[in-house]
Amino acid sequence: MRKSVPLLGGTLAVTLSLALTACGAGADKTSDSPSGSYDKNATVGIGSLYEPQNLDNTGGGGQGVTEALNGNVYEGLFKLTDSGKAEKQLAKDYTVSPDGLTYTFTLRDGVKFHSGKALTSADVKYSIEKVRAENSQSARKSSFDMVKSITTPDPATVKVTLSSKSISFVYNLSYVWVVNSEAKDLKTSEDGTGPYTLDKWTRGSALSLARFPGYWGTAATNAKVVFHYYKDATALNNALLTNAVDVVTSEQSPDALDQFKNNPNYKVNDGNSTTKLLLAFNDRVKPFDNVKVRKAVSSAIDNKKLLQSVWGDHGTLIGSMVPPTDPWYEDLTKVNPYDVTLAKKQLAEAGYPKGFSFTLDTPNYDPHPTAATFIKSELGKVGIKVDINVITPDEWYTKVYKNHDFSATLQEHVNDRDIVWYGDPDFYWGYDNKQVTEWVKQAEQSDTTDQQTALLKKVNRQIAEDAASDWLYLYPQIVVANTKLSGYPLNGLNSQFHAYGIKKS
Amino acid sequence: MSERTDLNPGPGEAAAAMEPAPVVDSAKEAPATRTRRSPALVTGCVLLGLIVATALVSLFWVPYAPEDTTGGRLTAPGLPHLLGTDKLGRDLLTQLMTGARIALEAGLGAIAIGAVLGICFGLAAGFATRWLDDTLSTLLDVLIAFPTLLLAMLMVAARSASLSSAILAIGLAMTAVVARLTRILVKRVLAQDYITAARTSGTSWPRVITGHVLPNIWPTLVVNLAQQFGLAVMAEASLSFLGLGAPPPNASWGRMLQEAQATVFTAPTGVIAPGVLLVMLVVGVNLIADGLRDTLDPTRRRTR
Repeated sequence: MRKSVPLLGGTLAVTLSLALTACGAGADKTSDSPSGSYDKNATVGIGSLYEPQNLDNTGGGGQGVTEALNGNVYEGLFKLTDSGKAEKQLAKDYTVSPDGLTYTFTLRDGVKFHSGKALTSADVKYSIEKVRAENSQSARKSSFDMVKSITTPDPATVKVTLSSKSISFVYNLSYVWVVNSEAKDLKTSEDGTGPYTLDKWTRGSALSLARFPGYWGTAATNAKVVFHYYKDATALNNALLTNAVDVVTSEQSPDALDQFKNNPNYKVNDGNSTTKLLLAFNDRVKPFDNVKVRKAVSSAIDNKKLLQSVWGDHGTLIGSMVPPTDPWYEDLTKVNPYDVTLAKKQLAEAGYPKGFSFTLDTPNYDPHPTAATFIKSELGKVGIKVDINVITPDEWYTKVYKNHDFSATLQEHVNDRDIVWYGDPDFYWGYDNKQVTEWVKQAEQSDTTDQQTALLKKVNRQIAEDAASDWLYLYPQIVVANTKLSGYPLNGLNSQFHAYGIKKS
Repeated sequence: MSERTDLNPGPGEAAAAMEPAPVVDSAKEAPATRTRRSPALVTGCVLLGLIVATALVSLFWVPYAPEDTTGGRLTAPGLPHLLGTDKLGRDLLTQLMTGARIALEAGLGAIAIGAVLGICFGLAAGFATRWLDDTLSTLLDVLIAFPTLLLAMLMVAARSASLSSAILAIGLAMTAVVARLTRILVKRVLAQDYITAARTSGTSWPRVITGHVLPNIWPTLVVNLAQQFGLAVMAEASLSFLGLGAPPPNASWGRMLQEAQATVFTAPTGVIAPGVLLVMLVVGVNLIADGLRDTLDPTRRRTR
């Protein structure tokens, strides 16, 4: 089961699929429509494992809040398309000053919050500041460090001045929910501009959304959406089999799929994900401060077999931190190939001909214990002894993430574009390569996306050559739905699930 | 646990004798009981014996190395993997065999802690002055009210997820139950006339405990401990199921159940096999407990 670690799994995600207007037939990567007719007043049941902790994505709501509310209840100035590009949403237009430091956004007319108040620039300013606030728990908080000031010359214009250039600024804005600056309680209620309003949240079981009649854009193709929350994957699949839900946002095991694949009433969709499973070394401490040791460990583990064990025929190997949906993707699986002889040679060169032993801090939920067991078995073959230390997500956060008190750990990293963490020597894995840090910085200050892409490709290759971590595999994204349904998102992360284009016949 | 509160009168009480230590009584009766073996006891011993034998064999021989992942993903039962393999390609039979060891270790470890601490506390409370007795009893009641799993989770958080943390937590939870039972039994025995007689004739308290109290309460205690053993095994399996027991790659039955949960339809053996063994072990010790009660408790036997 996948649970989010606050900072890594919180609010991320590529908005995939679902053009807002739901008309761009070609570009739209949602499921095909089986028939033209659908029930405009249908209620769509969505099964998920991720109930929100609260409804505020800057208040530690977890990935469930993104899944249920992002794009459905709340919208940003921009939204992300399937290819990972930012598209205008609440921003009608924007200009960038020649020095790349001042962004001027013009807001769309006629946008109303669910409470009835009209959207103004003050709300946008408030919303960006909310993400940047001292007590904000947003995963994207640090992406807005370079914001110097936000001014609102008139109700329809927002001007943001940056202290340094940031080519990802517009992209990052797609993670910022525009909320009503006068809203009181965002943890149990909402006030956004999206196509749905919050209908009812029954803690521990379900959260329902109802179509917002005053929506500025194309109205949702269903009247009501209910997210049903389950504690385990088996219960979730049973709910789908018994028609308690119409679609499951993200399957967590390949073995339950056969019952749907062989059933004409269901469709199993294989999409793209950005969730990577990492064996993250603490690059600061012995023996993992030695590149040779890290390369040896990477080469000693048969990632393909691990992926096959956990996911059957699903998922992909990537060999580095970048998934194929990021523009700077490159297949780097050959950099540290699975080669036991090579691993032994590198271990000997590093001064550990007889191997060594280390403790692997392993989160207690799937797939980490399975992966840890496999790694222990693989590394045993080259003389490395692994002690598996099982820890809870909270312990992981304190021990590993905050205190850096570990040798090696396993963790899923769900964010897209998170390769930039390798440019931060203070990040938990402590990878410190001055050149990489410089490249990451330069990439962010690039003038063009080509420049940015070229620099991040270099970063990607360098971290792979340094085996900064061992990128075990990239998760598959499997959505299973009743064939009565169409227009649901296929790709991306389970942390985002746009429901407004779903048609039920 | 709760059913222990309406205890059958202890053998000492039944004997209702003054001095000759009831140990002698039960010793006299023993041969008679052994001729009429309780079927429950026999069945229980066979079930437990099978598990113990499996665990012992696993010390010297298992079909495959536990970390051998060459079996292929979720191979069906047959040859060369009699019970098939798990997701990682490890032999299930091998894991079940080593899992038997972990289950027994957990049960025995927890029972050792529970018995030693529980009997000490129970004796202390039974003999203590009123205020100390009240304090201890309240403490025990609080501990009993605390769910074992929750206690174990706290223990795991404070130490680390390991078999010893699990055993310690289960043992402590068991301590409360054993202590409360011991206290009640001790109080009952202390109210007997032969204790008063022993005291007036100058027998020291330690001698009263070893000579009169313990011999009178042990049959009931043993039965209870046997039952607790079964509960301890289940508790360890539950903890491992939650990922808080013996860390991987240790093949705890609870962990195996958890790992196989997602594949229950595609590879049912992974769930059935550890489940059956767990049931065998727990039913086995419970039958033994029942059998022991029949054998050791003269009143009960007479009423039959």
